[in-house]
Amino acid sequence: MSTLVLDDVTVSRGAGPVISNVSLTLEQGRVTALVGPNGAGKTSLLDGISGIVPISGGRILVDGESIERLTRVARARRGIVHIEQGRAVFPSLTVRENLSLTARTPLAMEAALTRFPELEKRVDSPTALLSGGEQQMVVLARAFAATPRFLLIDEMSLGLAPVVFMRLLPIVEEIAASGVGVLLVEQFTHLALSLAEEALVVASGHVSYRGTSAGLRDDPGLLHRAYLGGAASVIE
Amino acid sequence: MLQGALAGLAAGGLYAVLAVCLTLMSRLVRVVNFSQAATGMFGGFVAVWLVEEAGLPIWLGSMLGVLLAGVLAAVIGWIAATWLSEADTTTRSAMTVGPLLMLISLSFILFGNKPQPFSPIIAGPAFEVGGVVISQVTVATVSLAIVVAVAMRLVLTRTAVGTMLRALSERPTTAELLGIPSKPLSIAVWFVTGVISAIAIVIVAPSQSNDATSLSMLIVPAAAAALLGGFRRLDLAVVGGLLLGLLSGLVAQIDEVSLIRNFLPFLFIVVLLLWTQRKEVWDAAR
Repeated sequence: MSTLVLDDVTVSRGAGPVISNVSLTLEQGRVTALVGPNGAGKTSLLDGISGIVPISGGRILVDGESIERLTRVARARRGIVHIEQGRAVFPSLTVRENLSLTARTPLAMEAALTRFPELEKRVDSPTALLSGGEQQMVVLARAFAATPRFLLIDEMSLGLAPVVFMRLLPIVEEIAASGVGVLLVEQFTHLALSLAEEALVVASGHVSYRGTSAGLRDDPGLLHRAYLGGAASVIE
Repeated sequence: MLQGALAGLAAGGLYAVLAVCLTLMSRLVRVVNFSQAATGMFGGFVAVWLVEEAGLPIWLGSMLGVLLAGVLAAVIGWIAATWLSEADTTTRSAMTVGPLLMLISLSFILFGNKPQPFSPIIAGPAFEVGGVVISQVTVATVSLAIVVAVAMRLVLTRTAVGTMLRALSERPTTAELLGIPSKPLSIAVWFVTGVISAIAIVIVAPSQSNDATSLSMLIVPAAAAALLGGFRRLDLAVVGGLLLGLLSGLVAQIDEVSLIRNFLPFLFIVVLLLWTQRKEVWDAAR
């Protein structure tokens, strides 16, 4: 089984570190939730893993191989797919063209459309004309077609109605069940925790909780303390 | 007068080819490449040297010169992709002024500041319509502009590489996160547009002012033509180039306005900018 390991990773932007000393292990087939208040450094951590920004400390290992010096293209080819915040579609490209960027064979395209049947009837429409929920489906379908080993999802719910987001969550669960390690950053904490087996809470650039999702779900007090930066006292 | 206007079509075809290249560069690699014509000029000068001094056959010398222009463009593209990949369009475009000035200076040092004795690859009349002679050079440049525009449109809309290029032009970071190799693709765009520009310049150079500065400054009418298509549309870039060529030929025939010919591209740019901005509201806040 493949693993993605963050070993004491620090990500800096501009003058100083945004998030420091994060260690975690992503395993294929499991969902890990990364939650915390705005500005805690969640997006920066994902950017550091996928190579959008260089990390300023620590190591990132895929199956024991260090990847922090690789380009973002090389990391993607090692199976790390990062779904950015917002709707990361290519608006002038049709749905089919968006999917074809990762679904390189007719079989892969068919598999992606089978998993997302809502997209089938819009397949030749420019993605810009789709609703927000449909656009996120395109992003998920494109990520699925890339056959990732690890999927980093950043605030998929941003700008979506909760009811639309609720339709997307089971798809994430299915993707994880197919053997993909998912790191889920989400503002709807309770939904992220309901999906994940493990959870990290970050506050003010530090990990304030690392443990089971159930631990946080069952103890609201613990969640509140972690959000306020209760630091090592709540790290399991 | 019609003969005069049509005489301008050869130059118009050249403007159109360069405008198509500028449009592709702007759309696909986020650069207004001020060195677009200069790389073609330098490749053309090397081709002249290879033919005149090294004694190579004209076709071989021209081919090597065109190839060199492509390599020069690819080197500039490599610099942009390596050190300015995250920079905005303005910064990346400003960078290309450096190679423009460097190539003009280098050509002065290596080949002098006089026009070069280009041997015509294509010469003579192609056909006559109603007493008006159309030259082979005119047919070649206009055809090249149309073929390049159509071929590029087909590549962009019908091929996997074209889809990747369009994705890169819209969201370069997202495309890279999907494993699309932005650097080699960008450098390939620089190479191909460098080669196409050089081919057009080598064809037209024997029949017009062909000193280093004149050829490099073809970037001005080319930019004016590309502006008609908003640096987005290939068809309008071709139309802009041909229109500018026709107008240049026409005003050259009328003594009273023949001086305008020298700054016609600037006039074209000003008129287009005024027209495209006509609905803008300029108030105190701006």
